Amino acid sequence: MQDYQDILSEILIDEQTLQTRIRELGEEINRDYQGKDLLLICILRGGIVFMVDLMRHITVPHQIDFMAVSSYGAGVRQTGGSVRLSLDLKTDIRNKDVLLVEDIVDSGNTIAYVLEFLHTRQPRSLKVCTLLDKEERREASVPINYRGFNIPNKFVFGYGLDLDEYYRNLPFIAVVDLSKYHPPA
Amino acid sequence: MQDYREFIDEILVDEKTIGNRVAELGAQISHDYAGQELLVVCLLRGGLTFSADLTRHLTIPHTLDCMSLSSYGIGHYASSGNVRVNLDLMTNIEGLNVLLVEDIVDSGRTLAHVLQMLRTREPRSLHACVLLDKKYRREVPVEVTYVGFDIPDKYVFGYGIDIDEYYRHLSFIASADLKKYKK
Repeated sequence: MQDYQDILSEILIDEQTLQTRIRELGEEINRDYQGKDLLLICILRGGIVFMVDLMRHITVPHQIDFMAVSSYGAGVRQTGGSVRLSLDLKTDIRNKDVLLVEDIVDSGNTIAYVLEFLHTRQPRSLKVCTLLDKEERREASVPINYRGFNIPNKFVFGYGLDLDEYYRNLPFIAVVDLSKYHPPA
Repeated sequence: MQDYREFIDEILVDEKTIGNRVAELGAQISHDYAGQELLVVCLLRGGLTFSADLTRHLTIPHTLDCMSLSSYGIGHYASSGNVRVNLDLMTNIEGLNVLLVEDIVDSGRTLAHVLQMLRTREPRSLHACVLLDKKYRREVPVEVTYVGFDIPDKYVFGYGIDIDEYYRHLSFIASADLKKYKK
């Protein structure tokens, strides 16, 4: 694995800015869900770090659950296509206030499908919280209720987001210089 | 949901102590695997907070994967001790250094069983790292290479560990006075 400094183009969002914003999001969620009972859903694996830090700032009663999704067939998912659930929720979400927590919304295809799918189970409310929003890339319409940062259409990594599964543990969000990056064999 | 202050018995490990110990474990693991690569396997859901914080302190190249398990039969990993895999690893671990990260080990049945299952896939090495060790409850021998804290046989919550799915977000580990806890 290359040292991240060798492939770094720029640090897009530093650790302090991230943590300050996550605290704000937590406070906003606390206000909005005052008196309610919330279920946070993390989509594995990118959303893990964000969810763990966000949860620390959520003081309204809440539970967490996980979903893992993959695509049918090879290659990138097409607009409107289905997503395969490799891990479904343990919780029955009927009449629950559900907040889907994502690391990044890009084309929006996967999350649009997941939302559609979860709606069929009739939650009381279903909202989306994403740390990063790459709006330029959007193909599907996704209502985003809580947004950490709008980011440009650049290849990012760190803070839960991987490059070929590495670098998830970096405390900041960085842009990779693809001309310097050599994917592992 | 009941306010945890109504049923807390005591804070067993406070936030700062957890933070320091997790950093130490990260440094120790980075040292032990120096020059190698590691796959960190997080056992959902209790191990999530610990895994996320632990990996921040790893300086060696590593990847992260998750497993979700439940028991066959009724109760908390009761009966035969066999565990059902709800979500298996995405990674083929053959020939890899694997570190299983768990929040707590008590009877050791689940952990022993998972280690056994994973060994059939012939990883290069396989070790366990648990934040909390309830040694007094051990029923089967299980080798835990990295331990955060030895704790007494009390009902604990916080820092990823739930009571009826709540209280995972608390920054410390506390014991509950179950007489005062209302479900």
